[in-house]
Amino acid sequence: MTEVPVKIEFNKEWIVTKLSVSEDRMVLPAPINKEILFKSVFDVSEKKNILIITVKTDTEVVYKILSVEKVLQFLKVRILPVCNAYRLMAYFMSPAIRGGVMIKEAQWEKGSVVVVKSGIWFVGAVKQISVPLSEVAAIELTKREVQGKPTDVIRIDYLDSAEVVSSLVLCPLSTLQVLYNFLKDTTKSMDMKGTELDGVDQQVAMLVYSGMDSHAIENMLNIPHKQLDQIYDKILTLGIGEVVIIRREIQLTPKGVRYISDATKSQTN
Amino acid sequence: MGKILIVDDTLFMRTLIKNILFTGGHTIAGEAGDGEEAIAKYQELKPDLVTMDVVMPKMNGIEALKGIKAIDPNAKIIMCTAVGQEQMVKLAIKSGAKGYIVKPFQAPKVLEEVKNVLAS
Repeated sequence: MTEVPVKIEFNKEWIVTKLSVSEDRMVLPAPINKEILFKSVFDVSEKKNILIITVKTDTEVVYKILSVEKVLQFLKVRILPVCNAYRLMAYFMSPAIRGGVMIKEAQWEKGSVVVVKSGIWFVGAVKQISVPLSEVAAIELTKREVQGKPTDVIRIDYLDSAEVVSSLVLCPLSTLQVLYNFLKDTTKSMDMKGTELDGVDQQVAMLVYSGMDSHAIENMLNIPHKQLDQIYDKILTLGIGEVVIIRREIQLTPKGVRYISDATKSQTN
Repeated sequence: MGKILIVDDTLFMRTLIKNILFTGGHTIAGEAGDGEEAIAKYQELKPDLVTMDVVMPKMNGIEALKGIKAIDPNAKIIMCTAVGQEQMVKLAIKSGAKGYIVKPFQAPKVLEEVKNVLAS
């Protein structure tokens, strides 16, 4: 057993403690007093420096473990290969594209892809990358040139801190197909016909994607504010966008007009 | 900050890239709608950097990249193409492209890439 320092959330408070971790289990000491077999873990996710694991025995219990990256990495390397999940050996490249820019130093890494209840993990010797299914924007079975040959891969696009990131998975085609079907099925609620937005609407959506604000969009597409507002309404109704800021237009009251007139006078005197 | 030539056959993409570059404090040297025009504008405007679409009429981006590189081997060119055409990356990099952007893209990352290529 290896002991690692952590904080565990217990009764809505963080308690400082040490976890005893072996190959197949970990022991949470008092006041929790719980032994967790890794094979009973069926969900693992990560938010900043908190590892969230869900264990199912008689009931479902969620444990939040906070620690430094080194400790969390140790726990992930122990838990992910044996937890209750769909797992396949694969090569992955993550991230391959970030915000539309190809990552030049990106390389294929040998490891495994672990699909748990709430997300996908790319597990390599050095890094373990978590992609929550709720953040997956697109999944595509496509081809990439690998060692000079066009090869079938899965491209997974997802949001990471508001940036669109693409990762690639490479493994035998039959396994890829199983993974692709599984992921497509899991993210089915995001499927759309592709005809919901007309030409201008799509341009607006594309500009929003690129980070343009409403003022820039109005200028670029030469459309009035009212039309843009209607397109925003359509985008919001479809559930493909969300309001992040509401801007206001104002006009001055007589008191404001007087203030500005006086200010101008004092500047010209 | 750099003086940049934008090459893309669609006005929409040129306007989008122009807007992104403006917000990053760059100057737009000019715009071109195809590969031939890109080479002519490069000779005329001598920009610090070119953003080059790959799929264009008359002459495509890879041919234009080679044309510009023949005139100026130190030319800094970022290729820009749609999702699914990333297999062009190797060809573009082999032909001397300094960076590669996949559409659709996000402004902060594009500016970061432009900054990196200008500094290279």
